[in-house]
Amino acid sequence: MVRSLLPTMLQVLLHGLTVLLLPPLLPGLIAKTKAVMAGRKGPPVFQLYYDLAKLARKQAVFSRTTTWVFLAGPVGGVAAGLAASCLVPFGHTPAPVSFEGDVILFAYLFGLARFLTILSALDTGSSFEGMGAAREATFSALAEPALFLGFAALAKATSSLSLGTMLAFPGSLTARFTGPLILVLAGWAIVYLAENSRIPVDDPNTHLELTMIHEVMVLDHSGRPFALVLYGASLKLLVLGALILTPALPRAPQAWQNWLAFYAALGLLAVAVGLVESSMARFRMTKVPQFLVAGVLATGFAFLLLLV
Amino acid sequence: MLDVALVLASSGCWFAGALLSASSRPPERLATGLGLLGSLLALGASIHLLLGGSASGLTFRVWGLPARLELDALSAAFLLPLHLVGGLGLIYGQRYWPVQTPWGSGRFLRFFYGLLVAAMTLLFIARHGLVFLVAWELMAVSAFFLVGTEHERPEVRRASWVYLACTHTGTLLLTAMVILMAQRMGGLTWIALPVSTSPLFEGGILVLALAGFGFKAGVLPLHFWLPSAHASAPSHVSAILSAVMLKTGIYGLLRVSSLLPGIPRGVGGALLALGALTAVYGVGNALAQRDYKRLLAYSSIENLGIILMGVGLGWTGRATHDPWLMALGFGGALFHIWNHSLFKSLLFYGAGAVLHATGTRDMEALGGLARRMPRTALVIFPAVLAVTALPPFNAFLSEWFLYRGLFSSLARGYPWSAALGLVALALAGGLAAVAFARFFGTLFLGSPRSEVAEHAHDPAFSMLLPMAILAGLCLAVGLGSFLLLPLLDRVVAVAAPGAPALLDRGLRTDLHLLAGVELGLLVLVGAGIAWLRRPEGVVADSAQEDLPTWGCGYATTAARAQYTGSSFADAWAPVQPGLRRRMPHLRGLFPGGASFRQAFREPIGEVFLAPRVARLAERLLRFRRLQPGHLSVYLLYVLLTLLAVFLWMLLRTRLLG
Repeated sequence: MVRSLLPTMLQVLLHGLTVLLLPPLLPGLIAKTKAVMAGRKGPPVFQLYYDLAKLARKQAVFSRTTTWVFLAGPVGGVAAGLAASCLVPFGHTPAPVSFEGDVILFAYLFGLARFLTILSALDTGSSFEGMGAAREATFSALAEPALFLGFAALAKATSSLSLGTMLAFPGSLTARFTGPLILVLAGWAIVYLAENSRIPVDDPNTHLELTMIHEVMVLDHSGRPFALVLYGASLKLLVLGALILTPALPRAPQAWQNWLAFYAALGLLAVAVGLVESSMARFRMTKVPQFLVAGVLATGFAFLLLLV
Repeated sequence: MLDVALVLASSGCWFAGALLSASSRPPERLATGLGLLGSLLALGASIHLLLGGSASGLTFRVWGLPARLELDALSAAFLLPLHLVGGLGLIYGQRYWPVQTPWGSGRFLRFFYGLLVAAMTLLFIARHGLVFLVAWELMAVSAFFLVGTEHERPEVRRASWVYLACTHTGTLLLTAMVILMAQRMGGLTWIALPVSTSPLFEGGILVLALAGFGFKAGVLPLHFWLPSAHASAPSHVSAILSAVMLKTGIYGLLRVSSLLPGIPRGVGGALLALGALTAVYGVGNALAQRDYKRLLAYSSIENLGIILMGVGLGWTGRATHDPWLMALGFGGALFHIWNHSLFKSLLFYGAGAVLHATGTRDMEALGGLARRMPRTALVIFPAVLAVTALPPFNAFLSEWFLYRGLFSSLARGYPWSAALGLVALALAGGLAAVAFARFFGTLFLGSPRSEVAEHAHDPAFSMLLPMAILAGLCLAVGLGSFLLLPLLDRVVAVAAPGAPALLDRGLRTDLHLLAGVELGLLVLVGAGIAWLRRPEGVVADSAQEDLPTWGCGYATTAARAQYTGSSFADAWAPVQPGLRRRMPHLRGLFPGGASFRQAFREPIGEVFLAPRVARLAERLLRFRRLQPGHLSVYLLYVLLTLLAVFLWMLLRTRLLG
């Protein structure tokens, strides 16, 4: 009993540590890639860790219009992200919590985080943040169907509603499923860029409030709430990244090989995002919905292919 | 026997309370106490039955014919929300609509409110065509008077008349249905038909039930009466109309279909598709509303669509003899009925508190109420999360049931309707999030947009208490949903005769784990709040209080510069069928003044039907000439009719041979 339980315990521990400690590394990797591509030296890879440590010691400033809802965004965002991270398998190691239908909980936990972020932006009463909230609501309502149709396609292919089985489907390389899987992953890559407010949908480094989407929603956050916002954003990079990477990774016989493959793939994903960011400009705001609809169509076609 | 007698006594209590309230100097305490006693009686009986009591009936005679009242799990499942919301509404209404009002509207309101609850109680236990129709009509008429409480305003009068016309059209269809059922069952008492003998008859019953009950439930083309009726009624009445009365349509569908021997294969899929369309249509229009009570009414249409999707799924399961599909479909539908009645009545109570404090139903005149009405904002927040089906609140669980049902239907029977339902459910969830971010954000967040919002205040304790109870229940059901599984199993067994108890066996482990994750979420939220409250290491020397929101350098932030609800939902305006806008034409280098107008008109009721009905009414005016109002002319009509009858009698033998 103990002998069989111990490896599982270790896996869960490693899963938890990865979720807690690794996320801030990913934005650092992306920024470093961008800097190298542009011929700059760039900030250190661990910059976000330093920022978080600094913000955690700083006093927060609150506007006179804000209420407790203003804090619901950062706190709820991180809590929902952490809860969702228990449900997703990292590579081919099983998720700590897994049951039939956990995929729906996973999707709705991200919905919860987004809803609370939107409300906390509206709480400031600022026209800029209202604008950001409206944009986020619109674009995420377009990105959500892409995520869901991808889940539907995977569920249909594996006849399971549990993320562990759906993503780590051993037959994912059989001929019948390869085409739809590629479409799903392509659609999800679009969702990944949009949900993490990356170029070409949103530019995290822009300085003009009028063109921001995600950044403008957190303009008024400072101190610890802002640290939570930053950490939550990097957590999203990790958890949604695991969603894309797992079906694409080959299954290795040993657990440590699986973990290693996952970490390597995660690093590559961050570098890939950095490459996308350095090689293209962001879209005009009116073009963004078309880009997202392309994601919906890709996953929708995958679903249709599996239905017929 | 005891249970059904308790429910009957509860109906009697409510009726007595209603009669007391109608007297010229109503003893309010006594009337309220009687109503609450009635609610407790019915709640006790329903809970006893759902926890494992056996169904009990009462047989008696109406005009020498046998009639029957019966309390079974399906009735109990509907009595539960009725008496919860009914009782809480009674407490809420005391301060929301005081007895002493001009034109005696307080007494009038209390009388019909009591009558409505009494009639619905009777409706849910009736097993006799005539008793059912009488209770149905009592309910419909008292709802008509309740909607028209503020009948001095023309738009309220119009809404209540449209409602009356619709509900009577529905009753007409239901009367036909009852006659057909009496034909097949050999009497007005409702008994289950064991074997199918005449598919035409049973198909007719099903179609009439769908159309007649569809009017009440607000199914897509028959929903147009609903938004204005629910927006015009006093808020606690809107709550009971939305939370319970709409569901009587679903109850009727479930009850009548449970009596039929079988459901044809295609009907379930068609109903699922219809529910999916209703859900998306409802939430799409909710997005376009400036009137927050109308927004809630459209959201009810959305939720009824979701419930219908569950019923359709269950019917598909019955047609294909798939017990798992039946359990998830009917179970999901019933669970969503309970959940919707909890969070929607809470939302309407909250809307009532806002209306009571500010006197306006226009969202764009409000804002910043979370600072001025902190308790209201706090208790309504769970309902806002629940209506968008977000965890850890209750509606997420019922949608989770439906998702599982749709996925398993995808694997078997009807992939197309299930795929449509799946997309619609996800889309409706996303759009509901936008609509309710608009609702909560515009009403409660930011700074006030008008003078009335500036001076708003929290309502009385007796109005907050029902809201707090409902908010607690929303969270409790979300976390403890696995406790409800055996109850749902019992109800499913009635809705689909012969269905085995699958939910408890099949979902318990999953729901335990799900509740665990939700609990973890709450713990994390608590930990986050605790961390934010701990003193920081570095504190600024001169800690400044009272700082404005960052306005990009502008020192004064104007409340009018805030994002409005309309602009928040503006990106979806092109897909709003009912949103009409008039854009200014700007010409030349120095255009003059311009104005922009945007208005919402109900696409089916106001845009399509209203002009056609008006034209028809104009055509029918021609027949007025036959009604001149002179006694002599009417005597002539009588004479002519008599002559015609005589002629017919004389010529009959010759004509017919």
